[in-house]
Amino acid sequence: MAAAEPNGIADITGAVRQGLIPAFLYNDAEVHELERTRLFGRSWNFLAHESEIAQPDDYVVRNIGDDSFLLTHDSDGQIHVMFNMCVHRGMQVCRAERGSARTFRCPYHAWTYKNDGQLAGLPFHADAYGGEAGFIKEGQALLRAPSVAIRNGMIFASLDPDAPHFETWLGDYAFYLDFYTGQSAAGMEFRGPQRWRVEANWKIGAENFMGDSYHTPHTHASVVDIELFGEPKPYKRKEGVLWHAGPGGGTTYKLPPGSEFRSGLAYVGYPEEMIDRMAAALSPAQRALVDEPGFMPSASTLFPNLSFVHNWPQTDAEGRITPFISVRLWQPVGPGETEVYSWFCVAADAPDDYKAASYKAYLMCFGSSGMFEQDDVENWVSITTMARGSMARNLLLNNRMGLTLDGDPIVDQFGGFGGPGTAYQGFGEHNQRHWFSMWADLVSQPAPAREPMAFGMGERQA
Amino acid sequence: MSSARSAAPLPYTDERHQMAAQFLTEEAHLLDTSDFEAWLGLMDPRIRYRMPVRVTAVKAADEADVQTMHHFDEDLYSLRKRVQRFQTDYAWTEDPQSRIRHHVSNVRTFEGAGDELIAESAVLLYRSRGDRTAPSLLSAGRTDVLIPTEEGLRLRQRDIEIDESVLRTQNLAIFL
Repeated sequence: MAAAEPNGIADITGAVRQGLIPAFLYNDAEVHELERTRLFGRSWNFLAHESEIAQPDDYVVRNIGDDSFLLTHDSDGQIHVMFNMCVHRGMQVCRAERGSARTFRCPYHAWTYKNDGQLAGLPFHADAYGGEAGFIKEGQALLRAPSVAIRNGMIFASLDPDAPHFETWLGDYAFYLDFYTGQSAAGMEFRGPQRWRVEANWKIGAENFMGDSYHTPHTHASVVDIELFGEPKPYKRKEGVLWHAGPGGGTTYKLPPGSEFRSGLAYVGYPEEMIDRMAAALSPAQRALVDEPGFMPSASTLFPNLSFVHNWPQTDAEGRITPFISVRLWQPVGPGETEVYSWFCVAADAPDDYKAASYKAYLMCFGSSGMFEQDDVENWVSITTMARGSMARNLLLNNRMGLTLDGDPIVDQFGGFGGPGTAYQGFGEHNQRHWFSMWADLVSQPAPAREPMAFGMGERQA
Repeated sequence: MSSARSAAPLPYTDERHQMAAQFLTEEAHLLDTSDFEAWLGLMDPRIRYRMPVRVTAVKAADEADVQTMHHFDEDLYSLRKRVQRFQTDYAWTEDPQSRIRHHVSNVRTFEGAGDELIAESAVLLYRSRGDRTAPSLLSAGRTDVLIPTEEGLRLRQRDIEIDESVLRTQNLAIFL
């Protein structure tokens, strides 16, 4: 496909930039390969939150695409992100998902690495290699992730040593990221993740959370019907603002008239002491987002595949409203399969009673058993199945909501929105087009060749 | 709640074991036939229904120490909401319905605290959806606390030990 017309990558990205999506993009081996090398090979990828490895010697193992990474909190308190492959013969060094360890011993030949990655043990170094004359052990370590950045305790890595500077790349998205993971000076606590595999293409979840407020009233009609979450009524959802800023975008719900910061947060169920913390942690400009006319962030995606959701369902029979935050990754496994990683996220210093209610809110709504998520995944599996066939190769799906045929917005940008970036009130696929324009930028550019690295050879590398 | 239990399982000839085994079989029948209202009727009002996320840990570690999350952590309110959702006209994930079968086996019954019974069982859930995707299987162990009432046994607590760290089913729009 990459070179052959008519479905060459230039045609694909050209269509996508016009808001027309070749349907087969949702289940195509060649597109998947381009995404693997050109997109995930260069993007900033979320791996874990520091709270998951809060204590010295804690570790977790996470993936970027097919690459396994070992994330450690070393005995001196430093965070390391290391390629989880023994530099001797390539065995996966750590095969547990999480735990606590000072060293990691490869099961194959017992090469042993400290939890800062340094090669500490090499059996029979003198006998087998002639010591340093045959293999330079001194200074050897597991391969580092080429680029690493941490924000709000969230650990990101890029496979690209020349990745753009993280904060520069993040740009104005940081303003919104703080609503999800910057709620308290004490930081956030991530629980999970739940992990499950769905026969759906990874892009669908990313796009959906980026800006699809249009699906909510229908796909999620059941949760309104049972009075679990009242907001997704059609008339309420279309009052929300869709925003995109930097490499991400999201949806909001309009708060009741006269809303200001404290009353807006109280309306969605935050207790007083948490509002105090949020007032201290957020900037005046961030707080103003909740002031009249008043918008509360709901779903969001940070390109490429990290999403957030913030909803406020009823969590007990007495009618208590409790908000929750979930962070999720749409990790591609293949062209038609995604592994979902879904975390519950809460301010680390929130009261226990709030944490328990918020956790319950999360479990009822999102994640493997969540009543919202159940219906979302049903749709995404169906799209992916349909995209596999011949007809889908010649069908351009319409991703142009909010534009006239001439390409003009059907409404002006919304001036009353307090946040940075581009904002429209009402339904539209502005954010999904923004997401796809970033997708097109990466998949259309070949990844640069990298020099291979040899281990134990010192200066005498191949 | 006490986790006290007799050291040895009750013999199969014990009437209490037979009651527990029949309870689990009848419960599976209610789930397989989507009679969720009747299924809710088997719950004690204080029901705790939990399924932790399984984590791949080294053998020397206690897996419970690294578990931080559940797939289910339900009380009667949230179980009822899940059932009510299936009864709406918009629960797309189960319309058309999955073809499901709970295969319940390996039932072992113990005396619990007071007149409680502890029932361990294995469950294999076969789930087939539509005609395009492959069926999925969920295998789990369950430890139940059953309490006798005048209407029969009621489920006071269920702890589900799912046999996968990464579920291979599109969602948990099911009960185990």
